[in-house]
Amino acid sequence: MLVSKAQDPKELLPPMATQSQFPSTRFETLEVTESAIIDFPAGLIGLPGRRWALVPAGGESPFRWLHSLEDADLALPVAAPWTFFPDFAVELSDADSELVGSDDPDAVEVLVTVRATTELSGFSANLRAPIVIFEGRGHQLINEAPDAPVRASLQLERLADRAA
Amino acid sequence: MLIITRRPDQKVMIGDDVVVEVLEIVGNQVRLGVQAPQSIRVFREEIWLAVKEENRAAAQDAPQTLPAPAGAAG
Repeated sequence: MLVSKAQDPKELLPPMATQSQFPSTRFETLEVTESAIIDFPAGLIGLPGRRWALVPAGGESPFRWLHSLEDADLALPVAAPWTFFPDFAVELSDADSELVGSDDPDAVEVLVTVRATTELSGFSANLRAPIVIFEGRGHQLINEAPDAPVRASLQLERLADRAA
Repeated sequence: MLIITRRPDQKVMIGDDVVVEVLEIVGNQVRLGVQAPQSIRVFREEIWLAVKEENRAAAQDAPQTLPAPAGAAG
């Protein structure tokens, strides 16, 4: 309903602002530039909302936060899969490739969601349902590659190799 | 729940846009073809459930700050 939408404070933000503030329980202030905002037309599987932003996790961290712009409580750690899984491959169905809007691997950004704990050794990533982003639009898609577990332990030795 | 009997090559319409076709039946396996508009995502149920669980767990379990990997600091 249009009337209730107009009363939503988020709708009152100036549309041309290059940097916008959003409510967040994780960060004191969540400032997001336009370019970091990603529209997920079909949302993330099982989670509410379609507007999300990629937020750095600080310092040299290989992780970022995928933070909901509609729910202050909702943020998932994500990472570039190849940082931890050098052999990672994405195979998409024809329908999903069409959905992404590009079949150029260099043009799309691929991320995996990360299940984090207090210890890095307990982290895992979801290789079965990567997030593919192209021109500000994101989709969480099913990876048809044969070896793509929902919960794959991060290969941390990769990081050590890179640092050495 | 609607229960209907279909043979191979027969279809079921869901609304005006979604078509489910029985392609083949081999033993205890049925191959289905699903045609749906882009706005309707089609998943195998067990994968959809697993990903939903994983997404929710990733959002709920994340600590306030993520531990920095030793290798990433350099």
